[in-house]
Amino acid sequence: MAMNYNAKDEVDGGPPCPPGGTAKTRRPDNTAFKQQRLPAWQPILTAGTVLPTFFIIGLIFIPIGIGIFVTSNNIREIEGNVFMYYGLSNFYQNHRRYVKSRDDGQLNGDPSALLNPSKECEPYRRNEDKSIAPCGAIANSMFNDTLELFQVGNASDLMPVPLKKKGIAWWTDKNVKFRNPPGTDPLAERFKGTTKPVNWVKPVYMLDSDEDNNGFINEDFIVWMRTAALPTFRKLYRLIERRNDLHPTLPAGRYYLNITYNYPVHSFDGRKRMILSTISWMGGKNPFLGIAYIAIGSISFLLGVVLLVINHKYRNSSNTADITI
Amino acid sequence: MSRTCSLLWGLSDVEEKMGLRQSLQGADVPQARTIYLNEPLRNTFCENSISTAKYSKWSFLPRYLYLQFSKTANAFFLFITVLQQIPDVSPTGKYTTLVPLLVILVISGIKEIVEDYKRHMADKLVNSKNTIVLRQNAWQMILWKEVNVGDIVKATNGQFLPADMVLISSSEPQATCFVATSNLDGETNLKIRQALSETAAMKTEKQLSSLSGKIKCEGPNFHFNSFVGTLYLNSESPISIGPDQILLRGTQLKNTEWILGIVVYTGFETKFMQNAVKSPLKRSKVEKVTNMQILVLFLLLLVMSLVSCVGAILWRDRYRAEPWYIGKKDYDYHSFGFDLLVFIILYHNLIPISLLVTLEIVKYIQALFINWDEDMHFKGSNVCAMARTSNLNEELGQVEYLFSDKTGTLTCNIMTFKKCSVAGIMYGQSPCSISDSYEFNDPALLQNFENDHPTREYIKEFLTLLCVCHTVFPEREGNNISYQASSPDEAALVKGAKKLGFVFTARMPNSVTIEAMGEELTFEILNVLEFSSNRKRMSIIVRTPEGQLRLYCKGADSVIYERLSENSLFVEETLVHLENFAKEGLRTLCVAYTDLTEIEYEQWLVMYKKASTVVQDRIQSLEDCYDRIEQKFLLLGATAIEDRLQARVPETITSLLKANIKIWVLTGDKQETAINIAYSCKLLSGEMPRIQLNANSLEATQQMINQNCQDLGALLGKENDLALIVDGKTLKYALHVEVKKSFLNLALSCRTVLCCRLSPLQKAEIVDVVKKQVKAITLAIGDGANDVGMIQTAHVGVGISGNEGMLATNNSDYAIAQFSYLEKLLLVHGTWNYFRVTKCILYCFYKNVVLYIIELWFAIVNGFSGQIIFERWCISLYNVIFTSLPPFTLGIFERCCSQESLLRYPQLYRISQTGDIFNIKVLWIQSINAIVHSFILFWLPAKMLEHDMVSQGGYTTDYLFLGNFIYTYVVVTVCLKAGLETLSWNKFTHFAIWGSIMIWLGFFAVYSSLWPTVAVAPEMTGQVNMALMCPHFWLGFFIVPIVCLIQNVAWKSIRNTCHRTLLEDVREMESSGVQVLRRDSARRWLETQDAPEVQAHGARAGGPGAARGEARRGRAGRSSARWEGVGVRAGCSPPLTQSRRILPVREANATPDAPPVECGTPGHPDLGGDGVTGFERVGARTDAGATRALEARHRPSLPLCTPLQPQVSRSAAGGYGERRRRSKLAAVLRGDAQLGLLETNSRRTRLLRVWKFPDSSGGQPASSAGVSTHTMRSGPQGRLSPGAQLWVFACEERAGPRTHLLADP
Repeated sequence: MAMNYNAKDEVDGGPPCPPGGTAKTRRPDNTAFKQQRLPAWQPILTAGTVLPTFFIIGLIFIPIGIGIFVTSNNIREIEGNVFMYYGLSNFYQNHRRYVKSRDDGQLNGDPSALLNPSKECEPYRRNEDKSIAPCGAIANSMFNDTLELFQVGNASDLMPVPLKKKGIAWWTDKNVKFRNPPGTDPLAERFKGTTKPVNWVKPVYMLDSDEDNNGFINEDFIVWMRTAALPTFRKLYRLIERRNDLHPTLPAGRYYLNITYNYPVHSFDGRKRMILSTISWMGGKNPFLGIAYIAIGSISFLLGVVLLVINHKYRNSSNTADITI
Repeated sequence: MSRTCSLLWGLSDVEEKMGLRQSLQGADVPQARTIYLNEPLRNTFCENSISTAKYSKWSFLPRYLYLQFSKTANAFFLFITVLQQIPDVSPTGKYTTLVPLLVILVISGIKEIVEDYKRHMADKLVNSKNTIVLRQNAWQMILWKEVNVGDIVKATNGQFLPADMVLISSSEPQATCFVATSNLDGETNLKIRQALSETAAMKTEKQLSSLSGKIKCEGPNFHFNSFVGTLYLNSESPISIGPDQILLRGTQLKNTEWILGIVVYTGFETKFMQNAVKSPLKRSKVEKVTNMQILVLFLLLLVMSLVSCVGAILWRDRYRAEPWYIGKKDYDYHSFGFDLLVFIILYHNLIPISLLVTLEIVKYIQALFINWDEDMHFKGSNVCAMARTSNLNEELGQVEYLFSDKTGTLTCNIMTFKKCSVAGIMYGQSPCSISDSYEFNDPALLQNFENDHPTREYIKEFLTLLCVCHTVFPEREGNNISYQASSPDEAALVKGAKKLGFVFTARMPNSVTIEAMGEELTFEILNVLEFSSNRKRMSIIVRTPEGQLRLYCKGADSVIYERLSENSLFVEETLVHLENFAKEGLRTLCVAYTDLTEIEYEQWLVMYKKASTVVQDRIQSLEDCYDRIEQKFLLLGATAIEDRLQARVPETITSLLKANIKIWVLTGDKQETAINIAYSCKLLSGEMPRIQLNANSLEATQQMINQNCQDLGALLGKENDLALIVDGKTLKYALHVEVKKSFLNLALSCRTVLCCRLSPLQKAEIVDVVKKQVKAITLAIGDGANDVGMIQTAHVGVGISGNEGMLATNNSDYAIAQFSYLEKLLLVHGTWNYFRVTKCILYCFYKNVVLYIIELWFAIVNGFSGQIIFERWCISLYNVIFTSLPPFTLGIFERCCSQESLLRYPQLYRISQTGDIFNIKVLWIQSINAIVHSFILFWLPAKMLEHDMVSQGGYTTDYLFLGNFIYTYVVVTVCLKAGLETLSWNKFTHFAIWGSIMIWLGFFAVYSSLWPTVAVAPEMTGQVNMALMCPHFWLGFFIVPIVCLIQNVAWKSIRNTCHRTLLEDVREMESSGVQVLRRDSARRWLETQDAPEVQAHGARAGGPGAARGEARRGRAGRSSARWEGVGVRAGCSPPLTQSRRILPVREANATPDAPPVECGTPGHPDLGGDGVTGFERVGARTDAGATRALEARHRPSLPLCTPLQPQVSRSAAGGYGERRRRSKLAAVLRGDAQLGLLETNSRRTRLLRVWKFPDSSGGQPASSAGVSTHTMRSGPQGRLSPGAQLWVFACEERAGPRTHLLADP
């Protein structure tokens, strides 16, 4: 209100308060809200009042932490389903230009995006006048080593351990986010007009023989397309399903891992790993959270003790105005 | 200074004197204009339609955008938006800044539109009102907006006038009319206007149509009370037109059937509209600090961007080139500058985008709270407090210097004629007689008059003068005469004379009729020499009924005395009386007269006519002219008028002083009067030494000041219990360049400063000087036009809507009706608003730093590529949705403690006053805290998800999965942090904190399932299922925010325990529903021990405090008790303030007769007390007991035993161990104090235990106690006897006069 003129004055006829004028009282409403007397809780943070909280946190967190820790460390025994991962380190899947170099429309089977991928895919958008499917740096750099696991039998014969390819991707990825181009034709037809990514050996519709795991909905591909948060990461590669209740999934013995080496990592000082793990109710082995819980619980407990001391010290000599009776 | 001066437009006379008028008009000198009668077409002046709206339909968008983007922060975000349009630069897409910016602009825009729409509507209403105008020789009804300059307008009774016009004629005899000008100046009396005799006869259409000639007049200006014009009628000599003929737009015609007028100014050129100036834009200190802090954040942003750029270079250097899997790019393209832009966009949200609009809304609501405050509603005039700006809400909490006007501000400005001195004899009640009648009631005056006392003639002349020499209007209603006066002093004098038998009955334009002792006399008025603050007097030249020419004058003693003739009598006596009057705080006027000869008068009249037709500087030449004839006065006597203090002024001042606010009284009144008022409002006290500066020259002033500075010595610069009194003349010298510094040093070393006889400009100057010198926040409060200058100069201007018009109110930032409301405005609203605004700002900074520094941590692991870890729209909506509510609840509902406590402990004001909780240092601490939080918030989840194996299906995850974890934890942490900052949680706080978390989770769920149905956020697909199903998510959900906040909680509680502040004590008392003993309340009870009726309390929603305030207001007397006594939350007994008796612990009503008890038995071996004096017996509930206690009070060697009534509910027979409910009792005691516990049963009274607290000397808070249950149980008498009741009492030795008990540093 920059102007202090109020045209209404001229209409109503009078300054804000004609003395003895209007009988209507301007007395403000006496409501708790307007008078700012809403009931409120006033937390008081003093050593005395927060003490119990600290002890409670300590008492709850330490057992939880121990529980988590134990669970996490129990993942040693190869029982139940075994999950096979490959790991890469020093691989910056989270680099900005890498992360954005994809076309989710294309991966969702959008025909127009298939033939005309997004600019974000540059420089892996087109190759020799044909659009690349799947386009972009992520797809282009897909991990293409193959890992095969064999159990070494008694007579040094190799028995292949059956590795399951499907069921390694998120349900939503497999069913919602990734879709092959629409149609009933064979995949090769549907991908007509596109070319394979530069670094790939074969086109996307030849990733697998299984129709349900081919093209964009190939699960190895889907897993790769979820770009990891940190430069050292793992990707789920295969499942080793437990066959019956009597035997462990991978019985004790010698195993032979056959790696078809395709994927270059030396140029960026990368490392590859293969990890076999079971999964507990809270995922794979990672003692960190357990330790964190124990640590925080302990710190909280310690702080509680410190506060207790402070409370004791200051309560008696303090100038508080309280007497507790 | 130039800025200040240009604002002082209300002060015409002073400006003129100071030569400022020229500089003011220099900018746009209004051209004199000529108006041709009956030829409206020859005039091209502005239209009469007005528009007060800021925007039109077409100008809205450009103007609004311009206004918004001239704010730095908005311009910054616009800049970011533009940057984002550069391809490949933005890590967050093109529109992620634009959308929140648009949201914010739309919100502010809606507010602007609504406000402007209201203005448009009001304008439309005004512009389309009807009026009657003479067109084509006939009266026509036209709209206001069609009125032109030169039109002849006819207005009828009760109508508002459409434009400024010159009155031609009216229905009344002698062409007079009455107007109500309350719209313009707030004065409620009717004003009379009279047409020129030359035009008075022109009433018919024909006459008017044939009117030809012109009016020459000055250009449009804003002075209500001046008009200079000349009417040239064909074939006649020019006739002067003055303010008497002017009818202004905005005034209303009253008691007049109709009038005719010629329009001279229309639309924006009317005086009414010219007065609607823009107030200067004031910015609060907090706002300035905030701007500074935004700059700091901007620097932080730059630093982070640079660091990231360097990081990016180093990362690339490690591989010499980028790894093969990242799409190869032209390397030059990614130059340093390009990277910098990427990172600026990445981190730009460090600067909170929503802060400005949040603050705008918050402050708007704070202003509403001020307007809604019931305690600041004045029933007398039915006026509420009004915040005219919301910019300065928090500034109210930081005021250190208060500059107050006296008349009308500290006092009621209701004048009563109290005393007089006639012919050297003083009449009126003696000062010691206290009577309810405030009026003059001395019969001696009339007796002297009737009994032919030698001074009879003088008395008659004196009273006649009072009846005649004024500008008051009588208004008859039956036999009653009421008076309409623009000056309350005049009304008081006329009323006083009426009471003494000299009744002013009628005013005609040229005569005044009075009834002197039943005899009707008519005085012909020849001239009125008006009052002005420059002249300080008004005179009237009359022809007495006897035909004698006489000049009556009344005015300030200084101007009258210098004009007295040598023959004047009673000069000395009257002077003594004047001093006496002033000492009692009365306003004095001297009255004198002189007889004129016909020749003298004729000569003067010629001069006068000449002066009154001058166009330029007419006022000055008139004043010179008046001066010529106001000579050779014969003194009659003096009048004394009382202006009573407003209600609760002393209490308010005491309380403000306790709040460390220095109060300066700046008044135009006499020194003696000012000192007296200062005494009566407790600004000065008897033992307070006074330094008076009264000097006549620069040298003398300098010497005086230096002398005083030397005397003070080391005390200079500290606050001393001194009072400095300066008058206007001395001040003029004291503010000279060479003296200014030492004068200010001296003035700032005094607790109280009184400046008297100041001109309005000097008032403004002092405020300005102090404001610049001490860099403290100043507040000026006043009610009159002469206060406008200081109100606009001070950081905060408060106007009192009183009797002196609307000028002060219209130029103020806050308008209140009573001085005492200042207490609530500053101590409650100010403190609260300060807490609210600062917390809101700091919190907004905090939450942005927390979220966006995470991008920096993420940059470390992603090769400084500028990748974001969160989904881009989540980032944008963070400020707009997910964390938008907590700042509002902090800004609107935060309460450091209750209103009652703030008023009870004005010392709490110092927290906000010093501004310690909001400065650059605090921002750094907050930022570092936020950085630590962001560190935890990133690295803890990152470590949790390190091996990517967190889901039960063994699935691996991606960066956004981590991002969503972190984002969720950020929202939770940030919301809980708001909770931690909140000192008072109401339902809205709960909603904001828990609601925000819920909103995010809900949004997360919806947003993750949009793709591909809606083409947004493909990367979010399926995130919610995976995250919420993941045990790590929930394990982290509890631990991460706790890790962040545990340090804050621990730190806060340790600090609160080790360095207890007054605020903490008060809050603790409030929350435990504790009673506080106050010595003065105890004393009051002892003095009025028959009084106390039990007050109802605790019933109202607001809790006990509210009810108590209510009850106490009802009590008679000016006790300082309005907010005393903290209530008992669940108590069944009356509050302590009124129950000065020992009551049993268990139930108040269960003790018919409390036995006398012994207390304070020091040295008793069983009791563990040692070395305290004597016994005191206190009877309970009986008057005898109270009397004894009263006696005890007068024996200083003995401690005053004050029983307390604790709120304990316990089994009477049980031991201490059986306590069920804990309750606390606060006894805040000064001096050596003891608390004791005693037990009574039917037979005896036992003292169980005494705790002694030696007086903590000096600045420490008062002795008080914290005694645990444990201590008491281990006392010598560990168990209660069966059937016993428990008592707690406190004894304190009387110490010092200071009675404020709780922490009085």
